[in-house]
Amino acid sequence: MSAPEPEQKRLHPASLIVRWLKIVPQMLAGGIGLAATSNHEGFRRFILFAMFAALAGALFALLSWWRFRYAIGPGEIVIEKGVVSRQRRVIPFDRVQDVAIERGLIARLFGTARVRVETGGAAKDEGELDMVALAEAHALRDRVRHGARGAAAAAAAAEPTLFALGGRRLLLSGLFGFSLVFLAAIAALVQQLDQFGLVDWDYWFTPARAEAATHLVTLQTTFVLALLLVMAGTVAGVVRTVLRDFGFRLTRTEAGLRRRRGLFTLSEVVIPLRRTQVALIESGPIGRAFGWYRLSFQTLGADRKEGGVQIAAPFAHMDEVLPILAEAGFPPPPPRSDFRGGPRRALVRWAAPWLALACVAAAAAWLFDPRAAIAAIAFVLLALAAMLAWRVHRHTEDLDALYVSRGLLKRRLAIMPYEKAQIVAVSRGPLQRGLALATIAVDTAGAQPVRGIRMADLDATEADAGADRLHAAFRAARAALRAGGGHG
Amino acid sequence: MQADGTGDGAGAMTPLDPAHVAVLRIRFGLAAAAAVLLALPALRMETLPVPAWLVPAAVLLAGLAATLILPVRRYRGWGYREGEDEIEIRRGRLVRLRTIVPFGRVQHIDVALGPFQRMFGLGTLILHTAGTRGASVPLPGLPVAEAERMRDRIRAKIRQDLV
Repeated sequence: MSAPEPEQKRLHPASLIVRWLKIVPQMLAGGIGLAATSNHEGFRRFILFAMFAALAGALFALLSWWRFRYAIGPGEIVIEKGVVSRQRRVIPFDRVQDVAIERGLIARLFGTARVRVETGGAAKDEGELDMVALAEAHALRDRVRHGARGAAAAAAAAEPTLFALGGRRLLLSGLFGFSLVFLAAIAALVQQLDQFGLVDWDYWFTPARAEAATHLVTLQTTFVLALLLVMAGTVAGVVRTVLRDFGFRLTRTEAGLRRRRGLFTLSEVVIPLRRTQVALIESGPIGRAFGWYRLSFQTLGADRKEGGVQIAAPFAHMDEVLPILAEAGFPPPPPRSDFRGGPRRALVRWAAPWLALACVAAAAAWLFDPRAAIAAIAFVLLALAAMLAWRVHRHTEDLDALYVSRGLLKRRLAIMPYEKAQIVAVSRGPLQRGLALATIAVDTAGAQPVRGIRMADLDATEADAGADRLHAAFRAARAALRAGGGHG
Repeated sequence: MQADGTGDGAGAMTPLDPAHVAVLRIRFGLAAAAAVLLALPALRMETLPVPAWLVPAAVLLAGLAATLILPVRRYRGWGYREGEDEIEIRRGRLVRLRTIVPFGRVQHIDVALGPFQRMFGLGTLILHTAGTRGASVPLPGLPVAEAERMRDRIRAKIRQDLV
């Protein structure tokens, strides 16, 4: 409270309109039921309700805008908000992992941007300024990133481009982004309408119509429908990819890799190199055949919506991936021949559960219903798939890092420099004990619980030795870091 | 089953305080009592194919057996080794887990004293790391003084790591 008080500012006035536009539909959702009663009285009530909602929304937007204040102090950013209960949040600059700038369509209309301050903490909304003028956003980011050195240091030399996604490449990557997510969206929409009683199922689905429809199910119609679905999925994939990755550009900055992308919503994010934990090189089954890979970094403080990783190159050849890896301080993956898997007896553990289910299904087919044989065959195929997946689950170590690859269709190679390890754990279930197998799991900061680094079903003694080796490598790497003067 | 009980490659592991068995026994006993209470309404049911009193009796028997057998098994599954720069913790009988926590990775440390643990002067040392999977590693059944000594030692180690 002492020292010169930094200047307190409010958000850009345009945010009033945006907030109002956000609040009112939420309030109206409750009123739709009124409208759906569809008689004259109901409609009049709905109009009244809508007017009330618009007014109340405007009042609330104005109040919360008035009560939201932020200030950039010498070493911290202070955000005060709350209409009724006030909250004052102080974020010190050295705890800030990243400042992301995002510009949606409306924000671009007003020349503003949304600034998100990530600290790597657990809270979802850590520090969000929605919206401030664009120039203010850039100044703020430079101020936070360069701390006491001020904005002057930010106006450095041009940043070298590491990767860019050109027009044709973008469309191509969209083709690989085949997606049927829109089906789920349509289903959700129908369900919403159904909830408000706007869809009359009994009217649409009469027994007579159902009868008529059964004649339509022929080989041709099924084929055409499948074709339409594939086409729609492809188009959806292209549209989604273009919206997201238009103008994708990765440049090298002083502290990390800066990524810009987006068609309507422009986003700008810096991947802070000091905070990267694991590098991931992923590829789908078809893309891999053509040599296309995706490079991302598991980063402390990364947006959880993207799965805790930040994509550095969404669609690149290996000879483009390697320079980015090197720039980020990660070693390149060793040749395939260096990778090794677990002992052959591990196949039992990968295939046995499916084979057991296949036996059950076969017995059911024998005793009750021959149709269960289809399930039995499916389980046998799954067992085969599991055995193939075992073949590609391999790992290797070198002087700098641990490399783990897994996934039959979607393959993922994780590169973890030893100094990034948190906890090393060896686990042995009952079946593993019988087969003298064990699984090593290495926990890293910011890892997704299901996607962590695991080396499944190694020889038990080797796994124990491997865990000790990993820990020793971790100690050596940390000691080297300390001797080298911390983070240089 | 192996005689050492912790699997192969076990170094000199320190067992937990034997009083931990008593704590576990109280917990299992209470859980068993709760299960029996929950099974009591079965006495009122008339459509059971077996005599109604068999249901709570079976639950009681299972609870008694669990209370007698499981605490010792659980206790034997635990062990730890304090290293120069790390602590190694083993736990579990069915699924055996061996965890290596480097002191330099510990973000903060708790010593938790449960109500039954307090009766026996025991506590749980909990090491929190910045990871996500199994990021908090508990070590129960330590005498409180021992848990506090370990906490202070690890704290000193962390401070050293910072300079």
